[in-house]
Amino acid sequence: MALLQLNNLQKNFATQRAVNDISLTIEQGQIFGLLGPNGAGKTTLIRMITGIFYPDQGEIIFDGRPFDPINDVAYIGYMPEERGLYKKMKIGEQTLYLAQLKGLGKAEATRKIKEWFVRFNMESWWNKKVEDLSKGMSQKLQFVTTVLHEPKLIILDEPFSGLDPVNADLIKEEIHNLARKGATVIFSTHRMEQVEEICDHIALVNKGEKILDGTVQQVKQDFKENLFRINFSNSVLPEHLAIHLFDVKEKKDNSLILQRNEGFSNNDIIQYFINKGLGIESFNEILPSLHEIFIRLVQDTPTARQFEKTN
Amino acid sequence: MKKIKLIIQREFLTRVRKRTFIISTLLFPLLYLALIFGTSYIGAKSKANLKIAVLDSSGLFDRGRIERANATDASSQLVLVKDNADSLQKNFKAMGYDGYIIVPANTSVETIPHELVMNTNRTIGSASEVQSKLNTIWDELKYEKLGIDDEKQKTLSASRIQVKPENVNDRKSDSRVASTMGIVSGFLIYFILLVYGSQVMMGVMEEKTNRIAEVMVSSVKPFQLMLGKIIGIGLVALTQFLLWIAFIFIIYNVTKASGAGSSMVSGMVGNVQSVFLSVNLPVVLGCFGFYFLGGFFFYSSLYAAIGSAVNEDMREAQSLSFPVTLLIIFSISLMTIATSDPTGPVAVWGSIIPLTSPIVMMARIPFGIPGTVQVWELALSMGLLIAGFIFTTWFAGKIYRTGILMYGKKPTWKEMFKWAMRK
Repeated sequence: MALLQLNNLQKNFATQRAVNDISLTIEQGQIFGLLGPNGAGKTTLIRMITGIFYPDQGEIIFDGRPFDPINDVAYIGYMPEERGLYKKMKIGEQTLYLAQLKGLGKAEATRKIKEWFVRFNMESWWNKKVEDLSKGMSQKLQFVTTVLHEPKLIILDEPFSGLDPVNADLIKEEIHNLARKGATVIFSTHRMEQVEEICDHIALVNKGEKILDGTVQQVKQDFKENLFRINFSNSVLPEHLAIHLFDVKEKKDNSLILQRNEGFSNNDIIQYFINKGLGIESFNEILPSLHEIFIRLVQDTPTARQFEKTN
Repeated sequence: MKKIKLIIQREFLTRVRKRTFIISTLLFPLLYLALIFGTSYIGAKSKANLKIAVLDSSGLFDRGRIERANATDASSQLVLVKDNADSLQKNFKAMGYDGYIIVPANTSVETIPHELVMNTNRTIGSASEVQSKLNTIWDELKYEKLGIDDEKQKTLSASRIQVKPENVNDRKSDSRVASTMGIVSGFLIYFILLVYGSQVMMGVMEEKTNRIAEVMVSSVKPFQLMLGKIIGIGLVALTQFLLWIAFIFIIYNVTKASGAGSSMVSGMVGNVQSVFLSVNLPVVLGCFGFYFLGGFFFYSSLYAAIGSAVNEDMREAQSLSFPVTLLIIFSISLMTIATSDPTGPVAVWGSIIPLTSPIVMMARIPFGIPGTVQVWELALSMGLLIAGFIFTTWFAGKIYRTGILMYGKKPTWKEMFKWAMRK
């Protein structure tokens, strides 16, 4: 079942059409990657989902009902890219305060905070102040405050920035845990290798419009260029390559990267090399990385979005 | 509602628990007392115990008269000396006198000397004490000369007319007490508006600087966040104020109990009691509470809007908040006019328009209702202030909503109006 459904969302600002007719469906339990270059409209989209902005047009269906920004925010946990905590406040009190604002009772919130603090080795932090924490430590704290109230929808904007690999793995592990328990995660980032690793489903937003939407595997299939890497047990000679089956992209002594031409199958190629008397050690398709797809799709966009009239 | 309560609680507790709050709450009255007692102590010290040599060549100032004159006041002492004028002029300091007076030989009661020379560099106050002693002696001389006995002297001094201004509508009121009380109340509100208004502004700026604003508005409405902050800080101001009243009450009672024997203390206690009698204290306190809260809401929501619009730069905040601060200072200048002429048009309109009413009206109320402040004026002023703060809070909420998530260039007031007008 879809936890979140966006239908033709649109949001205009004085100088810019920030989000233009975006529709998305995010299934429950999914880890959804929301990608896009800077200024593409991701933050505006997220702010509409978190009830900070009202859409100018379109509707948001949350958990089967029209989104109610006053009450539904209790089921959403949002960690913005611009992290923030009250610097002068004690960590325990602060976490409790944020949890109570999400509707948890004091006793329940205290119990949950203690559980998380034990899990993240933060027990001794309770009476410290945020200003005493390192960047990585406050990042962990921010994550705890985001997920403490067990939201149905967790929105994480660049959750790993500033974290060392050990802590990044810790958070990654928890994200998977939460998704296994049924939480839906929207994950917004520029780091494509993390997206490939974590997300089931992605959408790419550019200039306020959705330009791509699908599972990671599907997207890769859609953007593949029929590139293959073949390793041979003996050397490849130039006369082996004069053939209309494929174009050679890269040639080494006993390996090739080639692009299959239209109208032929993999078997045709393998058959051809066998007939030429070459020993095939491996034959792999090269799928494009999300990074490459991303670059290809947005490379024509100027790095800074131009201001434009909205009407 | 529960969320606003949580926000109020946090804003209140984090401030009240701060060391600076406790110190300023304790220190302010102490400094204030030190200032009052310190200046009166220094004043008393500087005119104490003047010793003045009197060189009388006329024979009018005999020992008995000088003693009777000295008995009237202990702060200066006249001493009759036998010397010649030149050596006294040269040596009076070495002889242990602070000054000298030479009464020429040809002085008589008929030819009253226009001045007696007192060679000393003291305050006007101490010179006037010496002068009044000399006049006591002179009066005695004149009465003797004219043959006026004690009985007649009493009749003479009793026949003076004293004019006491009295308000026909409110016979209890004493305009001197009322204007002092008005100025004190006006200044207290001024102080609260400026100090706590800027605390609201700094609080909002802190949320922006720490980048917690976006986290907060994903849990609560921006309006709730702003209102919670304003109410929380308002309660801090109220707490501080109530603590001060409690201090005053305790100090008053302790002084009253401990100093029953001392004439100075009982005099002060008497003064305080006469203030309480001449002013309708419950009404003044009630109105103070109203104008304090109303003025605070009116101005602090404007300060909140400014705090939300600027970045972490204090100078931006100052330049943007300058017009608001100016209005508060303007109220004080209207207040001084209002206390000297509490029924004049400046006072009346200044106390009705909500921009200045919290300070100006508070300066007029001690003069009495309905004696000086008409009931309709008070009702209109209160109604307009309520309408005014509802409007500024609504207006500020609109700006706040946009401003709190904006980073970058400082907006102008014009742009802020645009934010407020957006739906």
